[in-house]
Amino acid sequence: MTELEKMRNIGISAHIDSGKTTLSERILYYCNRIHAIHEVHGKDGVGATMDSMELERERGITIASAATSVTWKGYDINVIDTPGHVDFTVEVERSLRVLDGAILVLCSVGGVQSQSITVDRQMNRYRVPRIAFINKCDRTGANPFHVVEQMREKLKLNAVMVEIPIGLEDKLEGVVDLLRMKALYFDGPNGDIVREEEVPENLMEQALERRQMLLEEAGNFDDDLMEQLLEGEEPDIEVVEKAIRKGTLSLQFCPVFCGSAHKNKGIQPLLDGVTKYLPNPSEVENRALDLNDNEREVVLESDPDRDPVVLAFKLEDGQYGQLTYIRVYEGCLKKGDELYNTRTKKKFKIGRLIKMHASEMEDIQEAKCGDIAALFGIDCASGDTFCGGKVNYAMTSMFVPNPVISLAIFPKDKKSQDNMSKAINRFMKEDPTFQCYVDPESNQTIIKGMGELHLDVYVERMRREYKCEVEIGQPEVAYREAISQRAEFNFTHKKQTGGSGQFARVAGYIEPILSAPGSDEEVKDYEFASEVKGGAIPTEYIPSCDKGFQTAMKKGPQLGFPIVGVKCVVNDGAWHPVDSSDMAFQTAAIGAFKEAFAKAKPAILEPIMKVEIEGPSEFQGAIFGTVNQRRGMIISSTEDNGTCRVDAEVPLAEMFGYSTVLRSMTQGKAEYTMEVCRYAKVPTSLGEELKKKAAEKEAKEKKK
Amino acid sequence: MEVNELISKSPIRIFEDSINGGLGRGNLGVITSRHGMGKTACLVHLAIDRILQDENIVHVSFGANLEHVMGWYKEVFKEITDFKSMDEAVEVYERIRKNRVLMNFSQENASMDKILASLKTLMNQGSFQADALFFDGYRLTVATEEDVRKIKDFAKEMNVEIWFTVSPVKSNVEFDEYGIPATLNRDLIDVLVGMHYNDEKSRVIMTVVKDHSSDIPKPAGVCLDPKTMLIAE
Repeated sequence: MTELEKMRNIGISAHIDSGKTTLSERILYYCNRIHAIHEVHGKDGVGATMDSMELERERGITIASAATSVTWKGYDINVIDTPGHVDFTVEVERSLRVLDGAILVLCSVGGVQSQSITVDRQMNRYRVPRIAFINKCDRTGANPFHVVEQMREKLKLNAVMVEIPIGLEDKLEGVVDLLRMKALYFDGPNGDIVREEEVPENLMEQALERRQMLLEEAGNFDDDLMEQLLEGEEPDIEVVEKAIRKGTLSLQFCPVFCGSAHKNKGIQPLLDGVTKYLPNPSEVENRALDLNDNEREVVLESDPDRDPVVLAFKLEDGQYGQLTYIRVYEGCLKKGDELYNTRTKKKFKIGRLIKMHASEMEDIQEAKCGDIAALFGIDCASGDTFCGGKVNYAMTSMFVPNPVISLAIFPKDKKSQDNMSKAINRFMKEDPTFQCYVDPESNQTIIKGMGELHLDVYVERMRREYKCEVEIGQPEVAYREAISQRAEFNFTHKKQTGGSGQFARVAGYIEPILSAPGSDEEVKDYEFASEVKGGAIPTEYIPSCDKGFQTAMKKGPQLGFPIVGVKCVVNDGAWHPVDSSDMAFQTAAIGAFKEAFAKAKPAILEPIMKVEIEGPSEFQGAIFGTVNQRRGMIISSTEDNGTCRVDAEVPLAEMFGYSTVLRSMTQGKAEYTMEVCRYAKVPTSLGEELKKKAAEKEAKEKKK
Repeated sequence: MEVNELISKSPIRIFEDSINGGLGRGNLGVITSRHGMGKTACLVHLAIDRILQDENIVHVSFGANLEHVMGWYKEVFKEITDFKSMDEAVEVYERIRKNRVLMNFSQENASMDKILASLKTLMNQGSFQADALFFDGYRLTVATEEDVRKIKDFAKEMNVEIWFTVSPVKSNVEFDEYGIPATLNRDLIDVLVGMHYNDEKSRVIMTVVKDHSSDIPKPAGVCLDPKTMLIAE
C-alpha cells in the first residue's frame, strides 16, 4: 500500500450537541494523541482538546473548526472537527471543501435534526462520501433503528447498519459487528481494550436479520458478491467490505455505526470504518480552473511528482502571526519551496510548515500530496490557490452565504478604536460571512453576520483577545427589496448644456423573477436581457445598461437594502453620435430603473427562519404561544415519548432574544435551532413602519 | 383559472351536494375503503379545497413521515390548480402553507385525550382558528366508543368538522358492496363514504352510505380519477 492509500482526510459534522467534539476527543485518545480524556463540559475545567479557544471551552461549543492529525493502525488521518451551530456554517462549508470523507454524527434520541439535514445537503454539494455514527446510545429513549429509518426517509440516504448495539440506554454494553458476527465490548476505564466475544443469544436473530439486509444492499455494488449471495454461499468478508467501500465512495451507500462517545463505546470500530470505507485522497476527483486556458476545468491528480497545487482554506491569526491552513492537491511541499499565489500573482517562500494538533503544532519538513497542513506568515485570503509556478490554477471558490443580521458597534475609547479595527480586519480575513462596513451616512461601524450568536462571539473575542471594549447597538435584520409586478420604463438622460454633453435613452421593462410554487430552486437575484433591434442602442452600450441596472439595485429606494429578484429587459432606446457614452447609458439605466421600480409595486422582503423547537410535551402550549406571538407560522408538530417537536417559520426580526424567552418559559428544558429558509414579503403595515423609521433615521443624520 | 373559479368548478361541490351541502361543523365524516384506493389523496383534496376558501385546517397524521404528507399537498395542489399568472400561484401556495398545520402522533403512545389536548392548545395558545380537522389513518375500527365520543364532543365544543380516512387494522376483515369494513361502528358518524373499485367502469366509485340522518346508500356523484386519484366527476 502506498502512503497515499493510507491517508484519510475526514470531517466530523452534525447537529448541535450531538457530541462531535466528544467524539473527536475519543479519536485523539485512542490514537495516542492525548493521554487523558477531558470532557467538553468536564468538571476538571480543562475542556476538550479540540476546543482550544477560551470562549469555546467556556460555552461548551465549537466555534472554529480545528484540524488534527492522528495515526490509526498505520493510517494517517487528518480530522477536522466542525462547529454545529448554523451561525458558523461557513466553517462547515470550508472544511467540507477540503475533505475526502466525513462522519455524520447523529443523536440516537434526536435522530435526524434540522442541522443534520443542512449538513447532509452541504455534503452532497461537495460530493463528500460519508459514514454515519449514531451517538449517545446510552441516553434514555435511544433508538438507533429509528434513526436509520429517518436517515433513509428524510435524508434519502441508503443508510444500512453495519453494527447493532448490545443493550440500549443505561444497559449499553457494546456493539455487534454484523460482518464478522462478533460482539465487541470495550473494557478498561476508558474503553481502551476491545474484547471480542460471541454474539449474545438474545440478539442473534436480530443480528442475522440486519446482516442479511446489509449483505443484500452491499450486493448491489459488486457482481461477485451478488453471485455468491444468490448461490447461497457465505460471502468473503473482504469482498463485502470492498462492495461497501465502492457504494460509499459513489455516495450510494452509507454504512451506519453506533455507540456512545461519552461512554467510550464503539469508537475503535468506527475508526476501522474510516480506514476501510472512506476514500483516500486519490479516490476523490478534485477540479480546478486553468487560468491560462480561459478557466477551463481540469481534473487534479494526486500525484506527488507533479507541480504543487495547494488550497488555502482557512486563516487563523494566532499569537505568532498568521497561520494558513492548506490542503495539498497535487505535488508535495517542502520547507523552503517557492509557491505562487494565483490570485495576487505574488511569489513567496515556505518558511515554516507545520501540522496542527488542535492548539499545539509540530514542525514538519514536508507536506505530502493529499495532506492537510499549515503555513506560517503567508499573506493571503482564505480560498486562495497556490501553485508551484508551472501551472496557473484556481480551485473553484467556496459557497459563501449572505449575512442576515447587522449590528452597529462603537468603541468606548481611543485605544479600543485602534484595536477594534485590527480585530475586525483579522476576523474578516478569517471568516467571509463576517462583514463590516462604515455606513457613510451615520458614520457608524456596522458588522454583519449569520446570526446573533455569530456576532456575539466576535464581539466577545474583541473584548478578550484585543482588549477592546465596545458598545453594541440593536441587532438589525438584513432586509431586501423586491418588486411585485412588471413595469415599463422609458428614460432619457440628457445633459447638453456646454462642454461635452451626455445623452442616452433606454426603454424596456422590469419584472419579478419567480420560482414555481413549492419548488426549492433558488431564485436568481438579477437577470439582464437585451431585445434591442435595429441598433437603437449600439452594441457597445448594452453592457453599460446592464452595469447601470446592477448599480441601481445595490441600494433600494425604500430602506436602502439591496434589491433582488428582478429581470431587466431593454428593448429600445436612442443615442447620439457625440454625446452618448458608457457613463451616459449607465446613468440612464439607473434613472430608468428608479422610474420603473416605483411603478412595480415595490415590496420589502425579510429573512424567514426555519425554526425547530424541541422540548417536553407539557410545554407544547408555551411553544405554540411563542411562535404565535412572533408572526410565526406553525408548520408541524410531532409528539412521541413525552417530547414534542414543533417546526415553524418565523421572521428573523422577531427572533431576537428568543433563546432567553424560551429558556425562562420552559425552565430551560426546551431548545431551538434555526436557519434561514427563504425571504418573504413583510406585511404592508409593518413595511410602512420600517420605511418611516428609515426616513426618520436619514433625516436625523442629515441634520447632524 | 382564478381562485373563485377553482372553488366553484371543483368536483367537490357535487360531492357536497350529495351530502346535503357538506359535513357541517360539529360533525364527523369518514371515508373508508380497502388499502390503496387513494383515501389520503382524497382527504388532501378536500383539505386543499377548504384552504382555497381561506379556511384553516389541521392535518393530523399517525406515525407518518411529515415530509410525505407535505409532498401530498404539493402534488395535489399542482394537479388541481392551473394558474395563468405565476404570481397568483405563488400567492395561493403561500396560503396553503399559512392555513395548514400538520400534527403527527403515534397512535400507540398518544391517548385520544392527549391528541385532543394538543389540538386544543394549538387552537387556543397557538391562536390557530381551525375550521376543519383531517385525521389521516386513524384506526377508528379499533378505537373505543368512548374515544369516538370524545372526538365528537370535541368537534362540537370547538365548532369544527372532522374528516377521517379509515382502513381496517386486520387484514381478514370483510367489506360490504360499498367498501365499508364490517368492523366499523357507524353510530357516531354523521357522514360515511365508502370507496370500492368497479371493474366494469374501471374506476373507484364513491358511495354515500350514511348522510346525517339518512341511512340509505346513494351514489356520491363523483368518483376517483384513475390517473390522479383525485375526486372527479
